[in-house]
Amino acid sequence: MKKLLVVLFLALLCLTAFGATNIKVLAWDDAHTQAWVANLKDFEKATGIKVDLELIPSGSMLQKTSLNVTENKANYDLVAIDEGNVAKFGDLLVPYSKWPEGKTFKKISTTEIPQAIFEAALWKGEIQGIPINGNVYVWITRKDLVEDPQFKKEFMEMFGYELRVPETLDQLANMAEFFKTKGIYGWAPFTKNTEGATCEAIMFFEAFGTHFMEDVDGKYVITLDKEKALEAILFYKRLMQYAPPGANDMGHAERIAAFSDGKVFSMFQWPGIIPSHENEDESLVVGKIEYTAPPAGPSARAAVRGCWILGIPKASTNAAAAAEFAYWLNSYDAGIKLAEDGMTPVRTDLLTNPVLLETNPWYEGMADSGLFAVSRPNRAVFYPEISEQIKVNWLAAVLGTVDPVTAINNMVDQVQALLDKYEN
Amino acid sequence: MKINNRLIRRNSRKGVLSYLYFILPALIIVGVVLVFPIIYSVVLSFFNWAQVDDGRRAFIGFQNYFDLFKDKQFWNSLSLQLGFIFIAIPIQLVIGFFVAILFNREFPAAGLLRTLLLLPVFTLPVLSGLTWRLMLQPGYGVISYLLEIVGFDASRGILSDSGLAYIAVIVQDIWRMWPFMFMILYAGLKSLPADIMEAAELDGANFFKKTFLITIPMLKQTITTAILLRTIDALRIFSEVFVMTNGGPGNATMLYSLYIHKQAFEFGKLGYASSMAVILIIVSLLFAFGLVRKNMDIDTL
Amino acid sequence: MAKMRRKRAITKWILFTIALIIVAVELFPIFIIISSGFKKDLDIRNSNPFSFNPNLTSYKRVLGKSDFLPSIKNSLIVGLSSTAISLLVGAMASYGISRFRFKGRKVVSYSFLVSRMVPQIALAVPLFMLFDSLAMTDSYISLILAYTSFNIPYVIWLLLPFFSSISYSFEEAARVDGCNRIQIFWKIFLPLTAPGLMVAAIFAFIMSWNEFIYALVLTGTSTKTAPISVNGFLGQYAPRWGQLAAAGTIILIPVIIFTLTLQKYIIGGLTAGGVKE
Repeated sequence: MKKLLVVLFLALLCLTAFGATNIKVLAWDDAHTQAWVANLKDFEKATGIKVDLELIPSGSMLQKTSLNVTENKANYDLVAIDEGNVAKFGDLLVPYSKWPEGKTFKKISTTEIPQAIFEAALWKGEIQGIPINGNVYVWITRKDLVEDPQFKKEFMEMFGYELRVPETLDQLANMAEFFKTKGIYGWAPFTKNTEGATCEAIMFFEAFGTHFMEDVDGKYVITLDKEKALEAILFYKRLMQYAPPGANDMGHAERIAAFSDGKVFSMFQWPGIIPSHENEDESLVVGKIEYTAPPAGPSARAAVRGCWILGIPKASTNAAAAAEFAYWLNSYDAGIKLAEDGMTPVRTDLLTNPVLLETNPWYEGMADSGLFAVSRPNRAVFYPEISEQIKVNWLAAVLGTVDPVTAINNMVDQVQALLDKYEN
Repeated sequence: MKINNRLIRRNSRKGVLSYLYFILPALIIVGVVLVFPIIYSVVLSFFNWAQVDDGRRAFIGFQNYFDLFKDKQFWNSLSLQLGFIFIAIPIQLVIGFFVAILFNREFPAAGLLRTLLLLPVFTLPVLSGLTWRLMLQPGYGVISYLLEIVGFDASRGILSDSGLAYIAVIVQDIWRMWPFMFMILYAGLKSLPADIMEAAELDGANFFKKTFLITIPMLKQTITTAILLRTIDALRIFSEVFVMTNGGPGNATMLYSLYIHKQAFEFGKLGYASSMAVILIIVSLLFAFGLVRKNMDIDTL
Repeated sequence: MAKMRRKRAITKWILFTIALIIVAVELFPIFIIISSGFKKDLDIRNSNPFSFNPNLTSYKRVLGKSDFLPSIKNSLIVGLSSTAISLLVGAMASYGISRFRFKGRKVVSYSFLVSRMVPQIALAVPLFMLFDSLAMTDSYISLILAYTSFNIPYVIWLLLPFFSSISYSFEEAARVDGCNRIQIFWKIFLPLTAPGLMVAAIFAFIMSWNEFIYALVLTGTSTKTAPISVNGFLGQYAPRWGQLAAAGTIILIPVIIFTLTLQKYIIGGLTAGGVKE
């Protein structure tokens, strides 16, 4: 039955490839997607396909998508889906293997985008869409502070090694302590009660050498090493001393502001947001940033992956046109222009393009981080509830409202309860 | 003044048709866009209904309600919400009342000042929440700045402290809505028979005696109306708090509607969220009947 | 006697001063919105709140944003339409209930209250599904109708005591002259109730103008309303307080105009109508 549906869909795809078409695209709103807006005319001229692009705050994406994409209808032909929600919509999307070859723009393959990034769209063994931002944690550090001779001298006196972009978390802690004495906040956490906090938890767990959950034969099993988790939490609490005011409830807006206002020395940032740090209208630290992979914990460097993918709902009637748009966004030539306008490319050849690297130095950080990408355990339909338990308990532990050992136990117990409820 | 004592028209067959002419449009529209969704929500509360079909959608009777009672966050949200009501509304009432008494006297520019007072009530709730958020930002927010001057350490950020964030949310609502209370109470005061007030003055009653023994009892219906209207709206408060704190830090300001939003749109558990909505309706009804029975005739509403 | 007059004069000025202070404190946040609109985003974050380097950068950016002015237009269209429909339909219903002896009065009062008790979050989803099945999302009509869901009960409730307090004599006279019920309503009754209608219209418009939840769920690119647009200034970038304040101020303008010019109707309407003993 499924095969029949797919064949019917291929037929529809072919048919729709011939009409003058209008596609509706839903995506989140930030510097990255604003670059699409600026270049839509090029796509429309090249293909004759008109694009109705709707951009909304990323926090509202899940709600809007779930209301507008179902088995039987799709009010959008192309939707951006945060990888954490791929499990929810995976069954409703056309698998990438079934996407057409592309008329004006060629279908993207894994020679252009690494397999590890494509896997952001993995669901039930199949890739269900195409990644649209190579989002991994990038570490940003104020290189002007690191290169300041006076600071270098004093730091050497205090700690006995050279001030530099931190390569390990211990170095980060030392430097944060040092800069605190200079009136600069060493580091900024993410502590808002949203998905960002779960990412922090996963990064630090991984950096200290433990996975939270593993996929064993299609079912999740908790594999957290509680002692290592405890070390991770205690270290995070140590870093919190060097965080800016409001650190107990810091989300994207606050962190971006703090770093752009010059108040923070070093922290993680999502590539999609980095352009705003290098925007003169919004930032005081333009040109003063060094981009690397996150510092290593006792066990490893860990860069949380958080790609958004573009998926075509099975119920869409403009699949071929939608696919063209997706290919265009990820094509090389358009990519150069899009990247100049603020889009973060996924293609390896764009990330390592020397011309782009000049104006977008953070691509190097992304390429580095990509080697250490770790994923959240988000291939479950009920992932938001898992994430809720991880983040609520993580935050309780690092903010000091619950003692860490109890918090870790609660986290494990509550997630286990969810697994028992849903995986049986 | 009871409406019942007005002249009553005689019935007639033509009367029925005319009656329908006037009533029907409203009934139809409201039936579709209000009654239907309410019924839908109530029905949905008896289902396990995930927003994205996960194959588990099914009728489950009262299971959602049982789960609610076991849900710690539900009780947390409920108590935060009730605390909000019992703190914010009395304060709004008291401030509104005394300002209404003040404005009941004559002085220059009273009309203009009175009008200006109404502005916060009509301001976009989202804008209000965001403005307070701006004012409370550590460092550059006006309120944080002023607090620092008087020695209060606001450097950690008021909105990132559980207790202070809750207070901030309450203060925001008091700021926005005490003029609403003022508006209703002022209108009530203005419609009080002047002769009684004058008689009291001649009798030598001082300010406090007059207020407590005469004014307030005469305004009982008005006060109850004001409290009732405000309470019912305050029980549903959403946008201002959503943009101000998004329920944070942690769950410290996760008022009831915010938790409904989380369940419905973050977890996609529409059945569960609907059951929360039903509970809120019941709570509102309890408030309404409690207030109405004690103090007013529903007709004069 | 002169002493009394002077004492009264002093009292008046004391009252004035107190009132002025109260109003000034209360309006302080509004002053913050308005003044912040004249600062740049970056400046707001990096200087103390009382510094003032006025410039129009934020306003320029806001007005330059391709979706802001259209969102104001949308809010106007939706607000005015919903108000008009609600007023019309609501006045008719209110008349019917107050003039005809049929049962309905208590039901209306109760249903009005109950309709206000339902959290809009909960209603947003069924409403969306309703309009979506009719392929009406991202259209003005769906939002207009959604707004009538709270405007109509409000209008009916607001007008009821108003209508009931109008003397029957005019209608009786017209009846004697041979007019039927419907003509009486449109030609005689409504004009008599103009102040009440104004109050209801103002409140309905402002409630529609400020509404957020339904707009969030039911609108798309073409029907985005002003509150949604304002909310968009705080996203995944450093908070754009200046632009937000500028946008917010622009949105405040109709509210200010309405409130100032029609304030006597508001208080007057409440006095005559809703809150008498």
